[in-house]
Amino acid sequence: MTAPEMDGDQTLHSSLHSLRGEYEGIREIMRTRRKDMPQAQVKMNVRKASEKVSIIDVEGEFNAFAEVVLMDAYNQASDGQVRAIILNFEDLEYMNSSGIGLLVTLLIRINREKQKLLTYGLSEHYRSIFQITRLDDAIAIHESEEEAVRAANSL
Amino acid sequence: MTEESPPPSEEGKKQPRDAAFWAQRIERLEVSDVPEGAANVNVHGRREVGALQGFGKLWQKTYRVRLAGIDTTPEEVMRVWKEHFPEFQPPNSRFYPSMAGVAPGEVLFISASVGGMPVHTGVRVIYADNESFTVMTPEGHPESGWNTFSAYQDDDGVTVAQIQSLSRANDPIYEMGFRIVGSTEQERIWTHVLKSLAAHFSVNEPVTLEKACVDPKVQWSYVMNVWQNAGARSMLYTMAAPTRWIRSRIGRRNP
Repeated sequence: MTAPEMDGDQTLHSSLHSLRGEYEGIREIMRTRRKDMPQAQVKMNVRKASEKVSIIDVEGEFNAFAEVVLMDAYNQASDGQVRAIILNFEDLEYMNSSGIGLLVTLLIRINREKQKLLTYGLSEHYRSIFQITRLDDAIAIHESEEEAVRAANSL
Repeated sequence: MTEESPPPSEEGKKQPRDAAFWAQRIERLEVSDVPEGAANVNVHGRREVGALQGFGKLWQKTYRVRLAGIDTTPEEVMRVWKEHFPEFQPPNSRFYPSMAGVAPGEVLFISASVGGMPVHTGVRVIYADNESFTVMTPEGHPESGWNTFSAYQDDDGVTVAQIQSLSRANDPIYEMGFRIVGSTEQERIWTHVLKSLAAHFSVNEPVTLEKACVDPKVQWSYVMNVWQNAGARSMLYTMAAPTRWIRSRIGRRNP
């Protein structure tokens, strides 16, 4: 090999080495995060009520560990046409304050997309929690799916 | 403190297992017993405000310390944390729990010094279980939102103590203060708390901080929150201390 070829190879080798180091660093960060996150005890099913309205059925426990599931469901529910997301809480079994935090971050994201967030299926207990945390100032609570869909379609 | 009676349970449906951990809904904070040393300024009569009702950017900050090298459970860590909550605070941030301590619905009074300025306020415990508790701020508090104190076990079986804050500056004055110096001070306070908690268990591990700006927009619709600014009102309260002293002396002379 000539000197310039050797220099080129060394530069490429250094770059690859550097990239490999960064890749390993990122993998370590992800491993650390996965280690710290127990399994989510929640299922979410996404369905369409209309072209502009999607419904996410929440079943199980709504706490900090539900974040990934919730965001995946939102990504699935939200395409360019959707203007409203409805959360169905009929099968909600448990929610703690971290779950409330999740709803706030979801709401911020939805507002950024110029969409609306509505809910239905909340028991009296969870409605009370929405009132305690003043989430009801920004998230509409409806009695039934029909009512929520009607409200969403009229937005 | 008076609160609404609990809602009747729905017929045929069992109460959710988190029902006992949440505080009751109230319109405004009402305080009857003020712990010794605390100041009931900017607490009684205030509404609670969440992360949606403040003015400033919305931040989520997560502080963690791994209690490595000791054999303890999240429940034990939380028990100690609740019991010794005021002791783990730095000197410039005093908390005064009620006799019931850290329990759903209870108010924790706060007397702090922010940049040399006194701030008398409080927070209410809106959620508390064996592994976490969450406090919510009232109108006038520097922050509008929630702080959750929790303990959990990671996959290595190490107990981790965590403080997670999801909040905005309550008004423009606080927002400016946070941008210039306040957020560093706030981070120092929570780092101190976790270090103190860890030291209680004879652990000396670093505190990590992850922060994310959840909403970079300020909410101008809440600019008038400034009228409730606890810092400004606390300053007036402090300046009026000589007047209160004179009144109390006059009161003693002329019963």
